[in-house]
Amino acid sequence: MVIEIKNTFDGIGEFVLFIFRFFKELFKPPLELREFVKQCYVIGYKSLPLVAITGFIMGLVLTLQSRPTLAEFGAESWLPGMVALSLIREIAPVITALICAGKVSSGIGAELGSMKVTEQIDAMEVSAINPFKYLVVTRILASTLMIPLLVVFADGIGILGGFVGYNIHSELNIVRYNSLVFETLGFVDIFPATIKTFFFGFFIGTIGCFMGFTASNGTESVGKAANSAVVYASLAIFIIDMLAVQLTDLIF
Amino acid sequence: MKKDVGFRWKLGMFVTAGILFFAVTIYFVGKQKNLFGSTFHLKSHFKTVSGLKIGNNVRFSGINIGTVDAIEMISDTSVMVDLIIEKSAQPFIKTDAKVGISSDGLMGEKVLVISPGTFTFKSVKDNDILTSKNAIEMEDLMLSMKKSIDNVALISDNLAQFSYKVNNGDGALSKMISDEQFSSTLQSTLVNLQNSSNEFAKFTESMNSGKGALSKLVTDEKFGKTLDSTMMNLKTGTKGLNETIDAAQNSILLKGYFKKKEKAAKQIEIKKANALKKKNTTIIKSDSTKRLLTPKDSIQ
Repeated sequence: MVIEIKNTFDGIGEFVLFIFRFFKELFKPPLELREFVKQCYVIGYKSLPLVAITGFIMGLVLTLQSRPTLAEFGAESWLPGMVALSLIREIAPVITALICAGKVSSGIGAELGSMKVTEQIDAMEVSAINPFKYLVVTRILASTLMIPLLVVFADGIGILGGFVGYNIHSELNIVRYNSLVFETLGFVDIFPATIKTFFFGFFIGTIGCFMGFTASNGTESVGKAANSAVVYASLAIFIIDMLAVQLTDLIF
Repeated sequence: MKKDVGFRWKLGMFVTAGILFFAVTIYFVGKQKNLFGSTFHLKSHFKTVSGLKIGNNVRFSGINIGTVDAIEMISDTSVMVDLIIEKSAQPFIKTDAKVGISSDGLMGEKVLVISPGTFTFKSVKDNDILTSKNAIEMEDLMLSMKKSIDNVALISDNLAQFSYKVNNGDGALSKMISDEQFSSTLQSTLVNLQNSSNEFAKFTESMNSGKGALSKLVTDEKFGKTLDSTMMNLKTGTKGLNETIDAAQNSILLKGYFKKKEKAAKQIEIKKANALKKKNTTIIKSDSTKRLLTPKDSIQ
């Protein structure tokens, strides 16, 4: 029991050190630009279809689900604003981050884990390439920058989904829908949510890399690394979300 | 290298589209808040802004044309409100336009309303100061409401007093309502009145259609005519009588008697005249005072 607790804290300590190391390596030239761009492509562009479909469905479903309640109050005209608000503030960031935790974090964990197991990382070190810089920094940076972009797409597509959902039962042209959405939105809704997504991205990348990079030798540890990467990344997302809400509440 | 180019443009497109989309969203939200686009400022002084906040809408002819940018206290009785207005609304706001604070619905947000001025005035310029109208405060509304409620209370009080008096007092109204005896006397009076009116009805009926002298006098034309002719006869009769009396005075047999009577009458008149002369000289003074005191006498 005590050993387990000690191991947990050991893991957390190792993770914090891992983050420190990331920042140390980040500002040390040279930056592996080509690898970074490639990771951006893999994390950002390749996840777009998944995020787009999820966002669209979320917007559609949210509209259809909220409609009866709002119709009861005769406040159907608030539906677009309400859906857009909940999408931008909460649902799109969290859903996108969770999707990316499943796709990106587990991918990175499995990739780095298998590299570690097959001793490719050691081989890099031998051939005078800093594996941390080449593998970890690029991936974490890419996910930190790409997840917010994916969330922006999810917001837009989700609002579009809301438009489609609204038009299932009643008619509203896109211009009026747009103005209804933007009437409700303020900077208070957009900026905290956007800042939050950078943290989501950072932790998705970092946890994936950490789990892969610290995988123990043995084939089964690859699966373990991928699994725990998804679990801890998802958990981290919710914890960050909670902290972000409290901070936003405090400031605005 | 070939492979690199293959994914790079996709990545570029993805990033560009994402950033563009974000920028557009920010722009539109910002436009809603009047941060971008061409705008100008207007100022106005208020005694009280009654809960107006920065970011509240400014309306002109019912259209949102701007927002409240700043609210500053200038002195203990005046607050300056700075407004950001869309440039496109500038030509329509004249220098004599007035700014008032009202609310969007009973419980809604406060809204600044610019009421249009006269078209002969010039358009406003940047940083012009518009005159303000005092807002209708909820407190004032409540105060006037309280006044009318007080009045209602007073009226209902009076009404209660009135009904109490009616129930318990000694007045005619209350007796009518509550006193049994009074009502029974009233009833008997009414019965009497009915009886007498019945009698009267009978009387008038018999007068209209009866054969008595009175009814004939009122209704019968023939009777009237005969009455008239009777009168004529009477007239001629008395004329004849006068003539016979004259003739009697002049006749020899009765002359002596009439002469004696004349003499006696003359003597009495002379005596009366002497007595009157004496009386007049003595009473003249008192008589004049009497006249002053009672003017009725003077007429007589």
